Amino acid sequence: MLAFTFANLKMMARNRQATFWALFFPLLLVVVFGLLDIKGVGSPNLVLVDQADTDASKLLRDELAAIEFLGLEDAQISESAARGRVPDGDLDYLVIIPPGFVDLSPRDTTIVPIPVTFLYNTRDAQRNQLVDGVVRNLVAKVQPANLSAEQALPVVSIEILVPEVSYFDSVLMGLMALGIMTSAIISIPVRISTYRNQSILKRLLVTPLPIWKYFASEITAHLVLAMVQAAIILSVGVFVFGAKIHGNPAWLFVIVPLGSLVFLNIGFILSAWARTPAAASGMGNAVVLPMMFFAGTFFSTDTFPWIFPDLAEGLPLTPMLSALRQVAIDGAPLWETWPQLAILAGWAAGTAVVAAKVFRFS
Amino acid sequence: MDTAIRVEGLVKRYGSFTAVDQVSFTVNRGEIFGILGPNGAGKTTILEIIEGLQAPTEGRVTVLDLDISRHRNEVKARIGVQLQSSAYFDYLSLQEILSLLGTFYPKRIPPQTLLEQVGLLDKAGSYVKHLSGGQVQRFTVAASLINDPELIILDEPTTGLDPQARRNIWALIREIHQRGVTVVLTTHYMEEAEDLCDRLAIMDRGCLLAVDTPRNLISRLKAAYTVKLALDHPLTEGQMASLNGTVEFVQELDGNAYLLRLKGGPSSLGKVLDEMVRSDINLERLEIAPVTLEDVFLELTGNELQD
Repeated sequence: MLAFTFANLKMMARNRQATFWALFFPLLLVVVFGLLDIKGVGSPNLVLVDQADTDASKLLRDELAAIEFLGLEDAQISESAARGRVPDGDLDYLVIIPPGFVDLSPRDTTIVPIPVTFLYNTRDAQRNQLVDGVVRNLVAKVQPANLSAEQALPVVSIEILVPEVSYFDSVLMGLMALGIMTSAIISIPVRISTYRNQSILKRLLVTPLPIWKYFASEITAHLVLAMVQAAIILSVGVFVFGAKIHGNPAWLFVIVPLGSLVFLNIGFILSAWARTPAAASGMGNAVVLPMMFFAGTFFSTDTFPWIFPDLAEGLPLTPMLSALRQVAIDGAPLWETWPQLAILAGWAAGTAVVAAKVFRFS
Repeated sequence: MDTAIRVEGLVKRYGSFTAVDQVSFTVNRGEIFGILGPNGAGKTTILEIIEGLQAPTEGRVTVLDLDISRHRNEVKARIGVQLQSSAYFDYLSLQEILSLLGTFYPKRIPPQTLLEQVGLLDKAGSYVKHLSGGQVQRFTVAASLINDPELIILDEPTTGLDPQARRNIWALIREIHQRGVTVVLTTHYMEEAEDLCDRLAIMDRGCLLAVDTPRNLISRLKAAYTVKLALDHPLTEGQMASLNGTVEFVQELDGNAYLLRLKGGPSSLGKVLDEMVRSDINLERLEIAPVTLEDVFLELTGNELQD
């Protein structure tokens, strides 16, 4: 089996054209995004925790909701839950309206009023300045103009430090996953359909080689290729274009083979239907391109209309990207990505069963 | 034990289509055994069942005294197989392919030795795609010998080759045979079957029609000669009827040409010529030839072998 794995790697290395193009496309995109230096095109999100429930607080909610750019979330969550999301980088802006927001009854002046609290993370300083101004203006606007200085509530801004994330850091993970996915989903059906058409698979079957060893060697060789590919894309991203990996890069190389395994299995499944190498390549693309788009390789799909955000959850690329970004961007250790890894392992097992069922030798 | 392959009551059906129908034969150790038949006769299906690639619908196959349904892997380890139109990995050299194949077997011959045997030692570092058609076939024969097999199975080893390359392959097969290896091959070339094979099985549409030595198969025919006529006009029905009275068999060939098989040997030739004069048949050309396997095949199936 080891001999076969080496032979496979040798063939891949010698088939320079195919290997070059497998690497070229994602690498080209790395260069494009690296040169473009796009910053934070992702749209922000905002949560309003309303502890006053007065006309004024409702008016403030309406005003904030009217500014679509802010991405006000509908969900009613508790103050502590909302506060927890900001340092994770999961929530960009949080506005907490204290009880007694615009209480027109005479006030006990010995009690210091609780201000409106505005929390945000440090991810995008420019945008923060803008949103801060907007929130302050709106808070002032919804309070009646004739309120005394003591009655009007101030806004206190709290900045929460989170690691700075450039769009490039995030898209680099997407491109790495894209490269791995493409080479697995396209290369496997092309190879298998070629081998089948040329009776190479049959030639292997007339030898005493247990055929699982052939599959194992094919998978091992492709996993090695995936690691090399990931290392090259990552190196170009980090050393040429200055991307930052906030977590331990070694964890990325645990996630990469697991995801790659799922895509290799999908490749074996497609190969059951691909009669010719050309059909195989077309089929592979038909799976790869929508998956690349909907799983959020280049931009978050949260803001997509209709069922697309839910659809993304049903794609195997989504947990892979999420785990890669959690390590690379949020600096999470590997074990914190266990839910995504569990989903990927489930995908790997499920696709392996289907592949074993549908695979054809001739 | 001197039986290499025993096939008993073999049937293979695909749905309602019967590819192989009640075939039984044995191959003796140390012989070159040919399976002759047109495309679609079921030759490849029988080989694939012997090789363990397909399971029979009915019947029993024993290879080297091992039941193929129970000892598939042991059989695979002891036989060598050349598949019809099988290619090899694109980006491995001849030597690397043979080394890789060798790792699948408990017993193996060094790649260099095999390449030398088939005259491809100077191509050891080349890819298969850089070989000529004849060289590829020689290489695939070499690959079937990697495990030093007792029996090799070659599926149409010379199809698509020019006459010279075909003769080279025959010489190679004879050489392998002389070292004591049993050879089973399929072909649809008469000449190959007649010259190369010790015994032949003739197949058509899934059925085995005859098994014997080429000489015995030919001497089975009552007629020793065939006559080929070229005429200036097609035969009329009347002329055809009168000819049919004197010969055993008339077959129309292309362009006013006819093939006659004589009743009762050379002496009947005079009768046929007399009959032709009597019924005003104008000859343009006349050929007399001894019967060949082609005629045997014609007799057995009513069809010509070559398509």
